Order: sequence, then C-alpha cells, then structure tokens
Amino acid sequence: MDSKLQSNKRQMIVLLFPGLLIFGVFTIYPIAKLFLMSFFQWDFGSMLDQEFIGFSNYKDVLSDSFFWMTFANTLAYTFITVPAQMLLGLLVAVLIHEIKRLQVFFRVMHYLPVITSWVIVSLVFRYIFNTEGLLNYFLNNTLNVVDGNIRWLDSRWSALSVAMLLGIWKGVGWNMVIFLAALQQVPSDLYEAAEIDGCNAFLRFFTITLPSIRGTILFAWIMLTIGGFNVFTSIKMITGGGPAHQTDTMLTWMYYKAFSTGKLGYSASLSFMMALTLGLLAFFQFKAMKDKDMEAKNLK
Amino acid sequence: MKGRKILALLLIVFLSLSAAYASGAKESQDTKVETIDFWHHYSAQSAENKTLMNVLIPRFQQENPGIKVNAVSHEWAELHNKVLISSSTGSLPDVARCDIAWLPEFQKMGILVPLDSEVPDFEKVSSRLLESAMSTTFIDKNHYALALNTNTKILFYNTKMLKDANVAVPKTTDELVAAIRSLSGKNAKGQQTWGWNEPALSGWNLCPFIWTFGGALTNADQTVATGFVNGKETVQAIETFVTLVKEGGITGFNSGDIPMTDGFGTYRYAMMLEGPWKTAELDGSYPNVEYGTALMPTGKGGSVSVLGGEDIAMLKGANKDAAWKFMTFMTGEFAQIEMAKSGQIPVNKMALASDTVKNAPFAPFLDAIKTARARPTVSTWSEIDNELNGAVHQVISGKKTVRSALDELAVKMDALLK
Amino acid sequence: MKKTPTKQTVILNLLLTFSTLVSILPMVYMLSTALRPNGALYEFPPRFFPSLDAITLENFSFVLFQSTFYLNFLNSVFVSVVSVALAAIVSAALGFILGKFNFKGKKILFALIIVTMIIPGTTLIVPQFELAFKLGAVNKLPWLIPFYVAWVIPFSTFMIKGFMEGIPNEILDAAFIDGADIFTIFFRIALPLASPAIASVSIFNFLTAWEEYPWANTVINDNNLRTLPIAIAGFFGQHQFTQWGYVFAMSTISLIPILLVFIFFQKYFVTGLSAGSVKG
Repeated sequence: MDSKLQSNKRQMIVLLFPGLLIFGVFTIYPIAKLFLMSFFQWDFGSMLDQEFIGFSNYKDVLSDSFFWMTFANTLAYTFITVPAQMLLGLLVAVLIHEIKRLQVFFRVMHYLPVITSWVIVSLVFRYIFNTEGLLNYFLNNTLNVVDGNIRWLDSRWSALSVAMLLGIWKGVGWNMVIFLAALQQVPSDLYEAAEIDGCNAFLRFFTITLPSIRGTILFAWIMLTIGGFNVFTSIKMITGGGPAHQTDTMLTWMYYKAFSTGKLGYSASLSFMMALTLGLLAFFQFKAMKDKDMEAKNLK
Repeated sequence: MKGRKILALLLIVFLSLSAAYASGAKESQDTKVETIDFWHHYSAQSAENKTLMNVLIPRFQQENPGIKVNAVSHEWAELHNKVLISSSTGSLPDVARCDIAWLPEFQKMGILVPLDSEVPDFEKVSSRLLESAMSTTFIDKNHYALALNTNTKILFYNTKMLKDANVAVPKTTDELVAAIRSLSGKNAKGQQTWGWNEPALSGWNLCPFIWTFGGALTNADQTVATGFVNGKETVQAIETFVTLVKEGGITGFNSGDIPMTDGFGTYRYAMMLEGPWKTAELDGSYPNVEYGTALMPTGKGGSVSVLGGEDIAMLKGANKDAAWKFMTFMTGEFAQIEMAKSGQIPVNKMALASDTVKNAPFAPFLDAIKTARARPTVSTWSEIDNELNGAVHQVISGKKTVRSALDELAVKMDALLK
Repeated sequence: MKKTPTKQTVILNLLLTFSTLVSILPMVYMLSTALRPNGALYEFPPRFFPSLDAITLENFSFVLFQSTFYLNFLNSVFVSVVSVALAAIVSAALGFILGKFNFKGKKILFALIIVTMIIPGTTLIVPQFELAFKLGAVNKLPWLIPFYVAWVIPFSTFMIKGFMEGIPNEILDAAFIDGADIFTIFFRIALPLASPAIASVSIFNFLTAWEEYPWANTVINDNNLRTLPIAIAGFFGQHQFTQWGYVFAMSTISLIPILLVFIFFQKYFVTGLSAGSVKG
C-alpha cells in the first residue's frame, strides 16, 4: 500500500511538473527579474553599469505628469467600458436565452467581434471614424444631423471615446457567452415558484436571476477590469497615443518609455504600480460582492 | 478513446517541435558559409527592396561565394526599437541601415563599430562618397558608419488643383502662405481641401519652415537652445504655421486625417514637402494624378529643406570582414546606381556623375540637397524631438501661445543638450 | 404576464437582429473595402458597398500570391495549434491536481498562479526578451510557443480546476478502488469528462495565440517567420501610406481559421464555461 502511495505521489508531481516548469520559467522568472530591475538604474544606454537606486524609479513615475494623465485615461477607459459591456452582454444573453430558435446563429454573430483580432478591428474603426470617412459622411450628408465633419480621432477624449466604443463593441459577445452559460445554470423551479407567487418578469430578474449569477458577475468584472487596464493594441493602431501622448494609456506609455527612450527602470516600476492597482481593485471588487452576499442573505 | 487522442496530440506536438528545431539546427551546421544579418527599413513592397533582394544581394553573393546575406525589412520606427532591444541582449545584426538621426544615439550606447580605427581600408572606401553625407557619420572623434543614401524633401504640387485655383507655383514664403490660403476651402464636390499637408509635427516636418524663415533650433555647437528655438524667426515660423493650421490651410498630423498620399492622390491636399519615395507611391496607387515638383520656397533664411538619409553601420559583435565587404559593396558604384533606379539618391561620387543618375527622376532633389541642413546630431535628439512635437501640439490646441511654448521648450532643450 | 408567445418572440428577434447588425457591420465594411482597388478607398462619396463594377479581387490575389502571406498564415497556424494543444494538456493536468487533491501548499500554489494575471503581459516584454536571448530563442518561431502557453496557463488552469471540482468524487474513488493509478484516472476519466472546459479554454487560447502582436513583433525578425498580426500591421503606415485594400484582404482571410475553430468547438463552449466560471 505504501509503495502505491509513493507512486501516486510521484505521478502527481509528474502531472504538475510540465505546467509548473513552463509557467515558472516563462512567467515567474521574468516577473521576478522585472521586479528586481525596477530598483535599478536600467536603460539601454547604461546597460553595463546598473546601479541600485532603490525607489528612485517609482518616484520618477509618480512625479511624472504624463504618467498621471495616462493613469486617468486608463481608469476612464476601464470604468466606462467594463460596466457597459457587462450590461449589454447580459442583455443580449437574456434575449438569446428567451428565444427558442436561432440561438446558435445569434451567438455566433455576436461573438464575431470577439474573435477578430484587435489589430484588425482597430484599423477598421480607424477607417470608419476618419474625419473624411464613412461615419461622418453618413451623419453629414445622409442624415444631416451635423454640419461639417466631426474630428473624432484628433483630440484626447474624443479619440478615447472611439477606443472605448471599440472596446465595448468588441467585448459584448464575450460577456454574452459567459452570462448565457450562467443563465442556463439557474434552476427553473426557482422561476416557477416565483411566478406562482405572482412575481412579474422584471422582479424575477432582479430577485432571482441576478443573485444566482453573482459568481459569474464577479468573475467577469475582475477579468474585464484586468483587460481594461491592458488596453494597448487599439490605442496604438487608432491614434498611436497621439496627439502628443494625450491618448496614451498606461501600457502604451510604458512601451514608449521602454523602447523609444530606453528608460527600462521607469517602465518596470510603472508595470508594478499597474499590477498593484489591479490587485487593489480586484480586492475591493471581491469585498463588494461579498457584502452583496451578506445583504442578500440578510434579506432572506 | 480520449486518452489515445491526447497521446496522438502529444506526439504531433513533439514531432512538430523537433522538426522545427531540426530545420533550425541544420542551417548552423553549414560552417563553410558565413551569414551576415542585414537589417533595413526598405518597405517590404517597395522597388528598393526588390532591387536589394533580386539584384544586389545575389550579385554580392556571387562575387563573395563564402558569404550569405540575410536581409530583414522592418518598419522604420520598429527598426529603431528592435536595435535598442537587441542591444540589451547582444543579439544585434551585423549590419544595419540606420536613419542618420539615430547614429548619435546608437554611438552613445556603444553599439557601433568605429570604422576608421577598426577597418584598414576605411579611407579608401569612404573617400569615394560625398563629404557632406559622410559628415553625418562623424560623431565625437570617429566615423561610425558609411553614408548609404541621402535625401531631402521638396515641394510636390497637385497641378490640377493649382490650375483650378489660378495659383502659380510659390517661390517665396509669402507666396506660399497666400497659395495655401487660396487652395484651401471647399472644392466643387463640396469636400474640404487643404493647401498643405504636413504628416506630423516633428523636427523632420517643422525644420524646413523654421530654417527657411531664418530661425534655428540650437546654436552652431549644438549646446544651447535658448535664443534660437525661441528666437524671433523661429517664433515667426511656428506662428505662421499654426495660424495656417487654425485657418484650415494645413492638416495631416491628426489621427483622423486622410493619409498624405491618399489625400494628394484624391485632390484633397494641394501641396506637400516630400522625399523621392513619394514618386513611387504616387505612381503605384494614383498613376493618374498630375503633379510637379519645385524647391522649398525661399524665405529669410534661404530655401532650406531638411537633410535626411541613411547610413550603413557595422554593429558590435559583427563578423567584421564579411560585414565590411557587404558595406563596401552597398556603397560601391554598381549598387548605388542600381538603387538610384529605385529612387534612392546615391552618395557615391562616381554614381552621381553617371548618366543614369543625371537623368533620374530625382534630379530636382539634387539641387535641394545642396542647401539642405541636417537636424541636430545629438544623442538626445529623439527626446528633444518629442518635446518639440508636444510643444507645437499644445500651441495648436490653444493651450499655450507660441512664445510661451517655445520658451518652455528652450529650457527643456538646454537641459537635454548638456 | 404572459404575452402571446409570437409577439414576444418577434420583439426579441427584432432586438437581436439589430444588435447582430451592429456587431457585424464593421466586418462587412472591411470585406467590402477589401473588394475595392487600393486607390478607391478615399473616393467621394464614401460608399458602404462598392458598386458592382468596382469589385475586384486584386487585393486578395496580391495578398495570397505575391506577399509572404501564405508563409505568415502557416506560421500562425503552427504556433497557435501547438500552443493550444500544449496548453490544454498542462493546464488540464494542473487543474486536475489542484482541483481534486489536497496537499500542503496547494492554496499558495494556486494563488501564485492566479495572481500573476494582474501583471500586464506587455510589461514583461523586456525581461522575457532577455530570457529568450539567453535560451537562444530569438527569431525562432517554435519558441513563441512556450511563452504563449505560459501566458494562458493561469486562466486555463482556473477554468479547468473549477470544472474538475464539479466532477463527482465517486467516479474517481471507484476507479481508485479498482486499482487505477493517478495517470490512468487523469487520462482515462478526468480528461474526457473535462473536455467541455478544455474545449472552451482552447478557443480562448487559440485566439490569444492567433492574434498576439507585441511579443511576436519583438522577438521575430525575419519576414518569413512572421505571424499574421505582424504581417497585417506591416502594410499599415509606411511613410504615412496605408494600403487599406491589402490590409483588409489579409484581415478577412485571417478571420477564417479562428471562425472555423469557434464554430467547431462551439457546442462545448457554453457547458464548459458554466461550471468553470460559476464555481470559480
């Protein structure tokens, strides 16, 4: 029996090994290296003499007005796109959940934006929102609701709004799929009981559906928040961060600092501050859901 | 059943990995042939790249049987970033075609080989090349590259648009400003047109205006900016430029603008200042557009365009002999004339005297090159450029006046020039 | 509260059709642009659909026959397929052990894996490049794979673990009693049972590998080793001159594999996600 236990233990380790090896080497090691380097003077110019400078890089980041601007951009992007796509995704999921036929068709259609790469959809949006492009022509000449062409991509908040619209449009399908799965898990007898009690559709949604998919909501919320902070390709393709870095998000700014100015130490500390912020956000999101949990339990 | 499927999958994975590995390993076994990596930014679809891949490299390899050239095309900005990141790990290519503006930065990082002290026949090879072009390779006390090609920007004008607006080709800056105003507005189809397209607000774009108006970025030694970048003439140049932008006469640097070539080809932009590569682009996508070229209109400082070009450099860790042979070949008469056929202005003196070059479509550029000026050759140029860009953007968006923006810029530049 | 079924269905279908249109409109525009010659892209007035005589296949033929697109396409297929396969196995193994067994340090191990998700992947480019260089992995296509696999391990493990936890222990215990060892239980029981979850994370993983841009762009130099996203972006913005027709033709073609993968694995999608996310 003992040898069986040993051999089982060994087999467990063998199963764990490949994943942990790949993860350890290709993710953990770079993270550790990055963390270490954030405390050093580290740029392309001084590759050879890297001196330990403590929190100096972190101080540089925090005192950089550009950093705070990109921080604001990233927060705005995240706090607008995440709830929007969750709401719309949930709405579409509910709609699809209710119809009997054509479910697969609608699922696939809505998922199309999700499976198209960021590079492609960003270019398409850039083309559509060109000042002399299709959208303006439509608004101007066809609908006649505006006079003159709107310069969507030329100023900070206008261009960021286009990026946000892109982010929401692209994310709805993902949310739809996640919420559809969750909706199908809600036991139907709960609904039946409520119906008998005289509950209407609206009330049923808020008192049964939403609480039942709470776990999924939290999951989507956290994943999408991380995704929001990671916005990179769409900004690069649509505005390149311009005009003059006004539409840069934390990641595109980090990329610029690292590769165009060679300030690697700065970028490293910026990366960890991003991670820290995300961690804090996730923590609060967790707590928020837990509190709702308590609320729901107390209400019962 | 599933288990077997998984095992099959694993086998495929293993086999593909080993196959890929094997193919990679095979190349390095061939020790009789030396391979040098050559990174450049000839656009992948361009005539220059075709000439490189189909004419030059085969010829070079034929003349040098033991050497193979592995040429890789990168986009311009990507090439800069790639060289940077490769330098941090020592995985640099042997030879690279670098924008002349990058050389001071690369030299400071210590990744360029000082050719005059490391290569025996440097004098012989470099003396065949234009001195003005070679001046871009001299940094500190050594030459760090060979000039490869030079270029500058000249005025391209849309013949039809000028004719329709009854505007003559501008010869002075005053005429230019008036022309831009006349050419901007709404055309017959009701679309917006602009007299001038400027695709960005960097030094490459603004310097011709600044210098032609008699201004400057720094003093001759490139050590001080105050009094120059915020001097009277520079302020006037930027002032004029920004006014024209606000009037709707100039555009092109916004993300939502029609790209330069497309706009020029569809009669939306009347004039632009561009380099020899533009002819190939226009001929390719808009062959029906009639256009002419002229020198940058003359102002208080003369007719001063911005000097561009590329140098070919040997990078640290390179296979010196093979790399030098290739560099010599690329700056030799044959390669230079061939490239001239694709629109690259040569720096080889013999090539410049040849009939091919004399009759080439870029003949107008040769005159402009005589008066063109190079941007500051300091290692912090890309940061200065970024600050300049930001400053002018702030003026255009109304956040600052020209005076105050340039004053602040001068302070920042002084610090960067130290 | 019950509206007549047909009225409700009609409204629902109408709403869904509207949102479907919104979802696919940009892609339709992309396709219609790919069918027009390069120079026609800034024509006036801008049209959504090209006039019938303006339709051309020249962009597609250029992309397919004259550029290195074919190679880039195959490169992407190779990297994506192998990454997905490898990620599926290692994540399933991790998810199985972490989900079905208890041992010292399990919680910490799992937390470590999950918490790395808050570090934006793009920020790791520089240290990863140094690592790649040390391993001799620069400019070698197969070496993209371990990086991509490492990237997706946290999410995949999380999802599969959740699913594994939903598998009744009785099934595994029964096998144990019958004398099966861990490998057998994993390969013959757990893996097949967890296939919905594995299929659904594989779709995500395929998409990740297929469209990844920053890392591949940094580490791959040679033209013929490039993956699709880099090839597409390469047509964009040279000297301010974008050949939109080529860009969109390439984009349209590159959509096909991922669409096929999605449709093929589609049925697993919903079931696989449900257990994973709800339990998580």
